[in-house]
Amino acid sequence: MSDPKMKFLVVDDFSTMRRIVRNLLKELGFANVDEAEDGAVALQKLQGGGFDFVVTDWNMPNMDGLQLLQAIRANPALAHLPVLMITAEAKKENIIAAAQAGASGYIVKPFTAGTLSEKLSKIFEKQNAKAA
Amino acid sequence: MSDFQGMDDLMQDFLVEATDLLSGVDNKLVDLERAPQDRALLNEIFRGFHTIKGGAGFLNATELVTLCHLTENLFDKLRNGEIGLNPEIMDAILDATATVRHMFGYLERGVQPPAAQARLLQNLKDAIAGGTPAVAAAAAPAVAPADAPDWTALHGAVTGVPVAAPSAPEAPAASLPELEATTNAYGRRATDKPGSNQVSGRREGEKVRENAIRVDTARLDQVLNLSGEIGLTKNRLNALRSDILNGKQDAETLHALDAAVSQLDLLVSDLQNAVMKTRMQPVGRLFQKYPRIVRDLARGLGKEIEMELAGEDTEIDKTMIEDLSDPIIHLLRNAVDHGVETPAERMAAGKPEKSRVRLEARQEGDHIVLIVSDDGRGMNPEKLRAKAVEKGLITDEEANTMDERQSLNLVMLPGFSTAAQVSDVSGRGVGMDVVKTNIQKLNGMIDIRSSAGKGTTFIISLPLTLAILPVLLVRLGEQPFAVPLSMVREILPVEPDQIQEIGGRATMVVRGEVLSVLPLSSLLGWEQVNTPEYGVLMQTAETSFILAIDSFAGREDAVIKSLDDFRPKGVAGVTTLSNGQIVLILDMKELLASLGDARGVPRHVLLPRMAEAA
Repeated sequence: MSDPKMKFLVVDDFSTMRRIVRNLLKELGFANVDEAEDGAVALQKLQGGGFDFVVTDWNMPNMDGLQLLQAIRANPALAHLPVLMITAEAKKENIIAAAQAGASGYIVKPFTAGTLSEKLSKIFEKQNAKAA
Repeated sequence: MSDFQGMDDLMQDFLVEATDLLSGVDNKLVDLERAPQDRALLNEIFRGFHTIKGGAGFLNATELVTLCHLTENLFDKLRNGEIGLNPEIMDAILDATATVRHMFGYLERGVQPPAAQARLLQNLKDAIAGGTPAVAAAAAPAVAPADAPDWTALHGAVTGVPVAAPSAPEAPAASLPELEATTNAYGRRATDKPGSNQVSGRREGEKVRENAIRVDTARLDQVLNLSGEIGLTKNRLNALRSDILNGKQDAETLHALDAAVSQLDLLVSDLQNAVMKTRMQPVGRLFQKYPRIVRDLARGLGKEIEMELAGEDTEIDKTMIEDLSDPIIHLLRNAVDHGVETPAERMAAGKPEKSRVRLEARQEGDHIVLIVSDDGRGMNPEKLRAKAVEKGLITDEEANTMDERQSLNLVMLPGFSTAAQVSDVSGRGVGMDVVKTNIQKLNGMIDIRSSAGKGTTFIISLPLTLAILPVLLVRLGEQPFAVPLSMVREILPVEPDQIQEIGGRATMVVRGEVLSVLPLSSLLGWEQVNTPEYGVLMQTAETSFILAIDSFAGREDAVIKSLDDFRPKGVAGVTTLSNGQIVLILDMKELLASLGDARGVPRHVLLPRMAEAA
């Protein structure tokens, strides 16, 4: 199940958005949150270890969310991490691209704590099912 | 009630960040006109709108989302090469950014922005459709691909239908009916002026928003560190105090006291500096929006202008950045409208077709200098003098005694406008005098240099901060008063036999200029007891005069304490001298205004003893 101590990495180039996500996570009881402003920074932080969950925006400079996702899945040390993609795109092709790259979930802005909670529990469920 | 109750913090963050982002977009748009194929540029602009849209979604700002969404879609097509940039599309885009900025204005006041103009939305839609005749992107939305994981369907359920791009914003709108009601109730259009929302009555709780400021954490750490050090020094002083009170007064103790006080001195001035620095912002934030404004103006006037920015890293007090915005826009407008010539005129004069307008900032000692210059036709002192005489602003005699610099400064007189025809860009009668007043409000100075055919330069010089005001201490009897040093030109001895009465006013001739002499005592409503010994030549935007005083006590950097609740007329605030004496800082403008039109006193009032003797 979800452990309130698990460490999240929130990746977005817009600091307001990082704060929104951080606040929503806090509402859900996840207070252990770190932030990164783009995929490149995120990857560096992830390689430092200690993270249990990645919530990333799609559109970012330097390295976008999809590239980050691909990099995570390509790295054996990180490949197991659940990655939730956040984007303002409700386009079909984007959703498929995310799925093919191995996203654990996909959430469209704007969303509420309820929606986020729902997405997270889906992902946790799947993880548990895999582990069992 | 604000439409965004409970979201104030978030809103502040969003606005600060999104405004920066939008300014960036504006500048990139100017670049884009030069390089319409630049994919990286298109991508960045796309991302700008995308990010603003994302944030706006969380604030439920539906109309902002709609507009950003359309613009973003347009850029998506542009960056994918599906459509090419043309002037019509560019205009629609520029219109869109202006509207987005306008909507930020609404958000700032805690009001949901109204819908963008239908024409703009249609233009954007046309532009998007124009590139892709078969809008196949709007494929059957309800059909989820079979091979997609289950969260695709889930996501569809959450967002309503996974609608095709152009109509997507309808989903959030539908889920927020009460929001629509608010928007409709005001029924404003994007063209309405921001101030006009006052018509709907002042809403309670619509407080003046505290402006957020972004401070480098390193600077905050420094402040924290210094205040900690000061705490330690205070402890040390406390210990020394009890030692001394207990009769311990040996050389060692006194030496320690001396050391502690010196250290406190150093720490406090460091702390002052550090705190001041937290208010300092790079002037680049202010500069960002200008290239776009200059471009729009130049285009409207059929001129070709290359805007140059320099010294964007120079830091200025945040409050000043805001107050400088309008004066600089005005100077730039002047430069574009009056300063530079049309390409044809330039060719005829043997100059390059493209003119240059330059905006520069730099720090010079304890001053910030802002320079707005152009390489246009320059100003003609002769013409300026003639114009001022014609308008009755100065007399023939005055005109004859003016040097070039004084003549140029005539443009800053109220009611002076040089353009033969008033255009809608600049020269609305109010203008340079307002710029000068605004700069003086910031305790700054403005100077003009110009050479015919080569261009004009405006130089604004500002103090580093508003918290510390350099003042001149003057005395009336034994009572000191402080006057802002920025208004003081020089100090002269007052010889009673040089005082002449002209038209019932005491005057003095300083280098050929006739100036009225106003005793400080009569400005304050006191009786003149002594014969004033000194005169301070004061210069304000409107007038120059000599302030007659008994004596002066030098200059001082005053830390202003405002008298919030009771503010006597003519007093800007108080400051404390090193000996603990409290001194009133005079607001000369208010004092002068209280005199009304009677800007002068008869000679016998100024020189009471002389009158008696006579």
